[in-house]
Amino acid sequence: MRNFEDSWKRYFHYVSNDFATMDRVLDATPGSKVLLLGNEAIARGALEAGIAIATTYPGTPASEIGDALARVAKDAGIYFEYSINEMVAVEMAIGAAASGVRALVSMKHVGLNVAADALLTFAYTGTRGGFVLVTADDPSCHSSQNEQDNRYYALLGGIPLFEPSSPQECYEMTKEAFAVSEKLELPVIVRTTTRVSHVRAPVIVGEIMPGLKKKDFVKNPERFVTVPAVARARHLVLLRRLGDAEAIAEQSRFNKVMALNGGGERGIVSSSAGFNYAYDAARTLGISAELLKLGFSYPIPRKLVSEFLRKHRTVAVVEELEPVLENELRALAQHESIQVKILGKEDGLFPRALEFDQAIVERGLARAFGLKDSVPSDAPAPSEDIPSRPPVLCAGCPHSATYYAVNKATGRKAIFASDIGCYTLGVSRPHNAADLLVCMGSSVGTAGGLAKVNSQPVVAYIGDSTFFHAGIPGLINAVHNGHKFLLVILDNRTTAMTGHQPHPGSDRGPSCCDVTPVSMEEVVKGCGVKWLKVVDPYDIKSTTETVKEALAQPSVSVVIARRECALIAKKDEKGAIVKKAYIDQEECNKCMTCIDKFQCPAISTKDKVQTIDESLCSGCGVCVQVCPNKAIKEAK
Amino acid sequence: MADIYLVGVGGQGIITASRIIGDAAILAGKNVIMSETHGMAQRGGSVACTARIGDVQSPLIPDGSADLILSFELLETLRAMCKANRNTKVVSSSEKIVPLSVSTQRLKYPIAEQIGVEVKRVASEFVIVDSRKLAEDAGAPMSSNIVMVGALAGTGATGVDRKHFEEAIGANIPRGLDRNLAAFEKGFRVTAKSGKA
Ligand SMILES: Cc1ncc(C[n+]2csc(CCOP(=O)(O)OP(=O)(O)O)c2C)c(N)n1
Ligand code: SF4
Repeated sequence: MRNFEDSWKRYFHYVSNDFATMDRVLDATPGSKVLLLGNEAIARGALEAGIAIATTYPGTPASEIGDALARVAKDAGIYFEYSINEMVAVEMAIGAAASGVRALVSMKHVGLNVAADALLTFAYTGTRGGFVLVTADDPSCHSSQNEQDNRYYALLGGIPLFEPSSPQECYEMTKEAFAVSEKLELPVIVRTTTRVSHVRAPVIVGEIMPGLKKKDFVKNPERFVTVPAVARARHLVLLRRLGDAEAIAEQSRFNKVMALNGGGERGIVSSSAGFNYAYDAARTLGISAELLKLGFSYPIPRKLVSEFLRKHRTVAVVEELEPVLENELRALAQHESIQVKILGKEDGLFPRALEFDQAIVERGLARAFGLKDSVPSDAPAPSEDIPSRPPVLCAGCPHSATYYAVNKATGRKAIFASDIGCYTLGVSRPHNAADLLVCMGSSVGTAGGLAKVNSQPVVAYIGDSTFFHAGIPGLINAVHNGHKFLLVILDNRTTAMTGHQPHPGSDRGPSCCDVTPVSMEEVVKGCGVKWLKVVDPYDIKSTTETVKEALAQPSVSVVIARRECALIAKKDEKGAIVKKAYIDQEECNKCMTCIDKFQCPAISTKDKVQTIDESLCSGCGVCVQVCPNKAIKEAK
Repeated sequence: MADIYLVGVGGQGIITASRIIGDAAILAGKNVIMSETHGMAQRGGSVACTARIGDVQSPLIPDGSADLILSFELLETLRAMCKANRNTKVVSSSEKIVPLSVSTQRLKYPIAEQIGVEVKRVASEFVIVDSRKLAEDAGAPMSSNIVMVGALAGTGATGVDRKHFEEAIGANIPRGLDRNLAAFEKGFRVTAKSGKA
């Protein structure tokens, strides 16, 4: 190996010996500049802040924070866990932080809906050790069911808020958030978006602090037990602390005025990813303006912002999603009687839905300041007839087999309550396996409602991770209230869609800790379910028959379709002999069943002939059972 | 300043390739900012990454303004043309991954010539790299993505020295380095020859 090892060590100023196993999040040496994902930068910032514990439930675009910490937990000497859901993740972190150590909890934006109950009252008791909650929003719903703006949780709960714009800021603000949290004794939110969490850029890192890992809990029920009398008193404490928080925000280095092209009368106020577009757009437009970048944006530093508003005649507010800053600015201007024109979403300059890009912001700023934008109007239109490449289930995915079997058993005449995971991709044809879906765990609850008012049979689908996350209360409810439907648990032994994280049924945990796998069968039976069967979805015949039998039961029935995710199986069996399938062209009569009813990415039509791409085939053998002409065969 | 737009299909190693490009830029002392869009599927969906080398803040490349499009799959090359202008160089793998919609909706996967015509209509230059074969020739059949990194390096569009690319490859994939460097070399030669690098 030439001298790359040395140059790599130079890159990280890395001094240890084990080059192959080094981790850029943990092992980058203080002062070095490394390429980090925004999420990795948050993980590094938290390690440098000396966290004792980190928890998460995975969700795009936040997952890499937990994944990085799961990887390095052992070597970093911290406790990490993938919790059963976001609520428990936050409660774990509360228990630790209330004791006096530093705790980080991360999740995607909708995860905070699940955890909000715990967080909002924790703001009343406050914390002893630094408590930082990272929430990653997803404007444009790249991988989400909605594009809610979680800055409202800061306003709703009275929780100080940081909004980084870049990986460097992710790193710095996470560290700062811990300091602020401890100073104010309040939880603090760091809110990112997809274009912050999933951006890679150089980050100059610092030193990892050991930090306190153990504490003796000091009892103080007058503060930490929120009976009404305590809650009333603590609410007043929270409001006072928000005043202190505002004073810190006034002085924060993350709230700063930048002069663009010499500054001037035009003003721009921006935060988060919006800042990046505003900065580049202003430069492209060549406008001189002053830009107020708010990184510590709630509570809003009223002095700093009023001063900025007073100095400018027109101020454009550039923020993605909801007009949070815009509304605060308008209220402030009204309250302080400042004569300034505030322009933003209210005026139609910027959209309230979908993520921004530079062109959107350039057009908005040009309109705000009465200029001509340079956005090319003759950008080549994409050809319309390019075949789309929608997300699909992998070759060999056990979910495809389950869907095929259930459709066969029900004749597609059931109503399908679905849930969130890879299996949601079954919504498209040929499976059409989803008729109703709102949030994680909802399939079980909505199935009860569907069954109450419809005469068709109802089938609820849920993934294994999702079942543990939020499916269990719905199932107990169905048993107790006598709802009649079939729950199919698609047990692929992992949380696949978000990057194959473990869940409570798994036997592998993060690097730091041993875990105990929880038996799904015992949980289902413990919920009071009387009829439960486990099937291998790769066996189409027995799966189909079991589903038929389950649908004939008088009360809620459960089928666990268990087969490991094909991607994991492929990784585990590297080098093993897989019996790939092929199509015997002599016997294929072009009925297209494999393509129209089953659909596997490995099977395609090339020059009017159906073929199986050997490099994609996983050897699951399901297509062999699907072909009515026995033309698909397993290679010997 | 160089805006590189990377496209392909999930599972082709584009994220690894983009990380190598980013590390190489840092090793060369340049600023770089990158973004990635994965979509919902673990495998088989369209993937797009951006790499902007130079003094910018925004990670996204506005439509019609990529300097170079590095595509790992021919159909995705066509889809990426919204980022091209008359000065854009397009370097594409000859790899074809037929999307399911072609079979199920009885659509047609455009023939290579057609794609060539369309690309040349909007962009300045079009280089096709037989990445699968070159990777096999290099003894690294799994390293088509490294061949494409080589092809990018060969164009000289990034302003990053090849030695930094090689260092970044070693850093990201310590195992089988010699074969990966051979794959890089194969890709490098394709564009270094054809371009004005
Ligand atoms: C409240 C909430 N948390 C997290 C997510 C992100 N998320 C999407 S799918 C999924 C889990 C999928 O796992 P599983 O149910 O096992 O299905 P699989 O993808 O393995 O098929 C998660 C965590 C979400 N959408 N909502
Ligand atoms: S990652 Fe696993 S569960 Fe998801 S589609 Fe692929 S095989 Fe299925």
